[in-house]
Amino acid sequence: MKVLTGPHKKIKDLHPNEAIAPGTGLCAGCGGLDGLRLGLKELGDDFLICNAAGCFTLLSIYPFTPLKGSWLYTTMGGPVPAAQGVRDALDIRLQYRGLEEKENLQVIVVAGDGSSSDIGFGATSAAIYRGLDFIYFCYDNEAYGNTGFQLSPSSPYGSATQTTPSTDEHEAGTEINKKDLFECWKAQKPVYLATVSPREPIDLSNKFARAKKLKGPRMFICMSPCPTGWGFDPKDSQLIAKLAVDTGIFPVKEYFEGEVKHTVRPRKRLPVEKFLERQKRFHHLFEPHRQDEVIQQIQKGVDDYWGQYE
Amino acid sequence: MWRVRIHGRGGQGIKTAGQILGTAGFYSGYQAQDFPLYGAERRGAPVIAFTRISEEDILERGPISSPDIILIGDETLLNDPQSAPLCGADPSTVIFINSARIPDQLSEKFSVKTADLTELCLKRLNNRSIYGSALSAVGACLLGTIDLQVFLLAMEDELTQHGISHQMLKGNIDLVSEIFSIIEPAVISQRTEEAITAKSLVSPSLLPVIDGAPIILNPGNMVLHKTGNWRVERPEIDLERCNDCLICYARCPDGVIGLTPEGRPEINYEYCKGCMICAQECAGHFIQTVRETGTFP
Repeated sequence: MKVLTGPHKKIKDLHPNEAIAPGTGLCAGCGGLDGLRLGLKELGDDFLICNAAGCFTLLSIYPFTPLKGSWLYTTMGGPVPAAQGVRDALDIRLQYRGLEEKENLQVIVVAGDGSSSDIGFGATSAAIYRGLDFIYFCYDNEAYGNTGFQLSPSSPYGSATQTTPSTDEHEAGTEINKKDLFECWKAQKPVYLATVSPREPIDLSNKFARAKKLKGPRMFICMSPCPTGWGFDPKDSQLIAKLAVDTGIFPVKEYFEGEVKHTVRPRKRLPVEKFLERQKRFHHLFEPHRQDEVIQQIQKGVDDYWGQYE
Repeated sequence: MWRVRIHGRGGQGIKTAGQILGTAGFYSGYQAQDFPLYGAERRGAPVIAFTRISEEDILERGPISSPDIILIGDETLLNDPQSAPLCGADPSTVIFINSARIPDQLSEKFSVKTADLTELCLKRLNNRSIYGSALSAVGACLLGTIDLQVFLLAMEDELTQHGISHQMLKGNIDLVSEIFSIIEPAVISQRTEEAITAKSLVSPSLLPVIDGAPIILNPGNMVLHKTGNWRVERPEIDLERCNDCLICYARCPDGVIGLTPEGRPEINYEYCKGCMICAQECAGHFIQTVRETGTFP
């Protein structure tokens, strides 16, 4: 069952604008790139992206940029302070220096899950506290993908990363649960907060269309299947994104005016195994022997989550 | 000393090929050195791996500029100026190309060998885009100094580190055994070494700050950077059967599927990286998967 919150009903309604030109150096089949592409289609070209060091650094390789809008490259912890500076500069010029409203820019932060939930987390929290007028786009590929897939607070329980491989002593691989960034951000009551999946382009576009009209901190977490790090064929990228939604592992939801609403609900949740078994990072749960306990715990985590809302 | 240079694309196992060959050389009693070279780009972008195998200590470091053997995993790279796989080859260099065809023009100048590793990998591994073990096996066969048994041991050691499944390992063993039975050792002439000399220092002249700052003033100029040559497979839309649902247009991460004025999907092959999401996602299976062959110089 889908709840529509915006103007789009079918794919033909998507905004025809392509804000990201082709030719970027990102991996073939990158799920996060599709998410950003669909989002920017809605937001138009009048934006300034403050980009944290991460995979999406590769969007712009000097001397090339795929964007028709502006781009400011920052350190891993620095995109939100940069956004504050840019926003303030624009506001001052609008108010005192005769900058016309049509020259105003939408300030967007693009950061990975590592930057969002580790080093950039404090600055983001402070910006939400101050009510900074910006859009935050977090592409969540559940590890430090750009440096070779090391553990991040976003890596889910039971997944293998470079720094948490499955060993005799630590069979499950990652033994900590994923940090719930949605709940962390929600606690500070931003104006708008949503999770999006590239597999649900209409839902995604509607959410961006809605956020565009609001003012204040607007946050997005985008499910980003990563063929390189998660270990699957690039062509299955969208299939993995679909399975994440269908198994209930990735809830597609939004938070607005104090209420959490699931905008895409799986009718009948598939067992989590369907999602796990297709990825190399979960391979150790099935071979050489099945780790039923770990799989059951992952399933329990998903069931407990949905139990709150059923 | 034998110098082997391996060319391919990110995700095809090129780095692993260099490692397997180096380890196999080491297990055969030689000194060995192997390392890859790649830029900031990822899966699909050109990758080079180097392996030096020698009876004596290896004092050379850095990329191999004049190789004895060049192994090319992906024939489309021959047209790629960034990869330039033939760079540094002279008539004594043995060139291997993974291809079903024989490049006539190239064969006049160089000693060229070909074999269709893609088909072999599809047959044995049920995967047409990972050539790591196949390519290193070809390298070992061409050298002619590495035993099949030693090679298999090296391969097992390297692939186990990558967490390969038992079934895939068996497939790789069959694959390599088949390659050892079809590829003959090549004649590799010993070259005289050119002494390495130090380059003279260059003193930089002072430039305005703007020249040193990475500022891009031409928005959207990424279109000058073509990624169409990353493709191993090409999606082709059957427009007669296509019902214009535009799922492919929404699912393409790079936005290379555009719309014609009539509202029909159209793939821009100059940039399509060949991830094949569109073919996988097309509900009616109206998008075919065609293997890229490229053209020989």
